Amino acid sequence: MASQNMDPAAAAASSTAALKGSESGGSSARSSVSKRLQQELMTLMMSGDKGISAFPESDNLFKWIGTINGAQGTVYEGLRYRLSLEFPAGYPYQAPRVKFITSCFHPNVDEQGFICLDILKDKWSALYDVRSILLSIQSLLGEPNNESPLNTTAAELWDDQEAFKTHLHSTFQN
Amino acid sequence: MEDVVMESDSVEMSGPAPEQRVADAWEAVTAALMSPGCSVVDRSLSDSLALLCGQGLGRLLGGWLLETLQTRLSSSVVPEFWSGLKQPENELEERGRAWVLLSAFRTLLDRLEPFLGGLQKLGSWQDEGRGLSLCGPGPGGLQDRAFTIIRALLLFSPSPVLQERVLEFYSRTFSVYMHQEGQAEDGAELQDGPERGVCPGCGVPTQQCWCKEALEQLQDLSHILSRLQLLEWVSSEAVTSILHKLIEQRMEQHCRGEYERSFLLEFQEWLELVLGWLSKVFASEVDRDGPVPAPGAPGAPGAPGAPGAPGAPGAPGIQPGSSVLKQWRCHMHQFFCRIYVNMRIEELFSIIRDFPESKAAIEDLKFCLERTNQRQQLLTSLKSAFESRLLHPGVHTSDILTVYISAIKALRELDPSMVILQVACQPIRKYLRTREDTVRQIVAGLTGDAEGCTDLASELSRGDPVTLEMQDSDEEGNDPEDWSPDPTDAVPDKLGSKRRSSDIISLLVSIYGSKDIFIDEYRAVLADRLLHQLNYNTAREIRNVELLKLRFGESHMHYCEVMLKDMADSRRINSNIREEESRLSEEEQPPLSLSSIILSSEFWPPLKEEKLELPPLVCQAMEAYTHRYEKLKAMRTLSWKPHLGSVTLDLELEDRTLTNLTVSPIHAAIILHFQEKSSWTLEELSVKLGAPKELLHRKLALWQQHGVLREEGGGGGGGGGRYYVVETGSSKEKMDRGVMLIDSDEERDSNTTTQSEQREEKLQLFWAYIQAMLTNLDSMTLDRIHSMLRMFVATGPVVTEMDVNELEAFLQRKVREHQLMISGGVYRLPKAN
Repeated sequence: MASQNMDPAAAAASSTAALKGSESGGSSARSSVSKRLQQELMTLMMSGDKGISAFPESDNLFKWIGTINGAQGTVYEGLRYRLSLEFPAGYPYQAPRVKFITSCFHPNVDEQGFICLDILKDKWSALYDVRSILLSIQSLLGEPNNESPLNTTAAELWDDQEAFKTHLHSTFQN
Repeated sequence: MEDVVMESDSVEMSGPAPEQRVADAWEAVTAALMSPGCSVVDRSLSDSLALLCGQGLGRLLGGWLLETLQTRLSSSVVPEFWSGLKQPENELEERGRAWVLLSAFRTLLDRLEPFLGGLQKLGSWQDEGRGLSLCGPGPGGLQDRAFTIIRALLLFSPSPVLQERVLEFYSRTFSVYMHQEGQAEDGAELQDGPERGVCPGCGVPTQQCWCKEALEQLQDLSHILSRLQLLEWVSSEAVTSILHKLIEQRMEQHCRGEYERSFLLEFQEWLELVLGWLSKVFASEVDRDGPVPAPGAPGAPGAPGAPGAPGAPGAPGIQPGSSVLKQWRCHMHQFFCRIYVNMRIEELFSIIRDFPESKAAIEDLKFCLERTNQRQQLLTSLKSAFESRLLHPGVHTSDILTVYISAIKALRELDPSMVILQVACQPIRKYLRTREDTVRQIVAGLTGDAEGCTDLASELSRGDPVTLEMQDSDEEGNDPEDWSPDPTDAVPDKLGSKRRSSDIISLLVSIYGSKDIFIDEYRAVLADRLLHQLNYNTAREIRNVELLKLRFGESHMHYCEVMLKDMADSRRINSNIREEESRLSEEEQPPLSLSSIILSSEFWPPLKEEKLELPPLVCQAMEAYTHRYEKLKAMRTLSWKPHLGSVTLDLELEDRTLTNLTVSPIHAAIILHFQEKSSWTLEELSVKLGAPKELLHRKLALWQQHGVLREEGGGGGGGGGRYYVVETGSSKEKMDRGVMLIDSDEERDSNTTTQSEQREEKLQLFWAYIQAMLTNLDSMTLDRIHSMLRMFVATGPVVTEMDVNELEAFLQRKVREHQLMISGGVYRLPKAN
């Protein structure tokens, strides 16, 4: 019966994860993070959400590239943004570091691409995953929090949607 | 003769004194040269010769002789020969034609004999030292030139009639000879002449048989031709075509369609016999010490005054006879091999099909193929035979596999380098890849389930412990001395000169490039079988798994082992629970005796889901069982698959009892409902059982067949009908129903999802990954995609790895469907996405 308790997929995954994580020690903790990330990747792949996507950048499972398309009906419609996601060794108990690679004119995004989003900071929970992060950022684009802007110009311009859109599209560079 | 006389006359006229003496001497010498009997006295002849030589005329003799020969040939001899040959114009019988042929050559020899004699005398004089300057190029050269002139003038424009006659004559003598020599064998000629009294040799009524005569004529002809040095020129072509024809004929009669016997030795013997005939055809060249002078040919024994002349009768320029025969033997061999190979190439498909029986033919072919240069021809022909006879939709996959297996066996005999196998079977492998059921068939073959091909099962149980991996590595140990280069037609592939596999199972498994597919399929087959037989007897499966483990390695068969272990565990748990139940008091005994097979869901292939709500009675039993199980195995529970399994039940009706019916759970569930209520509509049953109406309708048919239920009012199976229990059946009906097949509607469905469904599922998953990586990383090469997939897709029982080729094919499909773009070797998603 003991053999039935062992999940071969887990065994295989842990061995590959150990290989991948070898540059930073490959502890068992790290391999369980790998497993979680691999699982998240699978979930993301199977979910088939439109407009959000992410994938490990190279063979390092801890660094992903994400893509968000501006949601329909918002000024960001038709624009596509690249993000980088970095997962700490303490993931999912620590939030991943997420920032825009494509420069984004938005009240809650600064010029370096850092994002002011509660769930990436104090409201982070291990129950969130890559998919929920990306969906949150996608909705943040259309519904900024103008209370605590990082980009005041954008926050001020936001009320005039037409002007905002014009400015956004004229400055957008992929 | 006239020419000579005229000429000498003119010389005679030219006055007395020294000129007269020279003229006389010239005449004497030329007359001596041309006269067969050699009438001139030795003494005076040598005087005349000395005189001529003294005058420096000696060297002209040779020239004169050739000149005369040429004039004579073109003016009379050649026309006479041809007209003599053609003269009878189809009027004569074969025998007569043979005679005409021979006499034409005889006359020819008669006419030329004086010249030949003259040449010889000239030669012998020279050898005796009577004037070394008699003729320029020496005696050999002079004779060569003479024969060249004869050949040139005679055969300058040969009429086809000569070839025809010679061919006919040789064919006849051949059959005569073969008949005489090989009385015992040869049914062929006998069959040709069904009417009695026909000589099998010469083909005419026995009283007119001219066999003996024909052989004598053959000898004559051969001597004449050899004397004139025409033998090669006149006979070779005819002999060649006769040999060709005869070997072909014999092969058609004896070998075609006959693969189970080796013909090499038989033909060897027969060819030796033929060689006997050849030695007669080339008789005078064969034994040059033999009695060369053709009977009746005058003047053959050269000049009497030429003692010890070397090579007197045979004449120089003729090769030793044995070498001629040796040459012909080689020719014949070559003919034989070529014809044999040609025939077998045509038949190769059938030979392969019959393989273990046709081994003899393969071995013969191998022998001959090594001696001819026809591998390319063989490959082309075999490939097209495969394509036209095997690889089309009308052929069952298992038949293709059977032929492929035979081909592997046969071709590895034929060509140990496996190149032919590899090249010729490429189309089969390619085609098999397009067949849906290939894997299933192979697996069925491996486990001995397939009716037709037991080869695979026995191949597997031969169980040479050569696992698939080990095959690559064992070549290191080979002695470099044993290395031999690939044949030139080898496909330059990645393997290079690496050993090509000849192992049937590894070849079959490698059709798809990955053994995982086979292992998955085997798992499905195993699951099916275990779930269908529903007893705990797994001896045979264990054996198969062990054998497969030898092939595929322990780790790959892990899942299967767990499945088998499940069966053993189930048996144990079951008996535990039974035991526990038996200790209960009478009232507490469960109403149903329930056995279960407990599957570790992680390790079994995905099972088909079918909704079925079992009657409360059964559910209770299951719950009780689960309860006991939970006690036995802490922290575990059971999740039932109500639609899998079987139920043995007795039906008690008013007037009859049906005992020991074994049916599926759904059948049992249906009939159980009739216990509480004797009529149901389809609708009601469907609600009760939670199963679709169509399915129920189908399943109800079984009970209708048994005469237990009948449908009323529904008509056409629309579903409005009601089903009633038939409590009393007429005895006749009972009889009829009794023999009904219980399982008649039991369409032994597979319980597991099919191979192609799984494959599709896998491809979908991969496609999602590929899309995501290209969305985020823009563009990637094939290798990068492949390695990414390998790294990030968690493989499991359903999702197996994809090899590069498979991936490339898949990506190309996507490119064709415009879901993907490729440029400069990198893939990217189309912009619109």
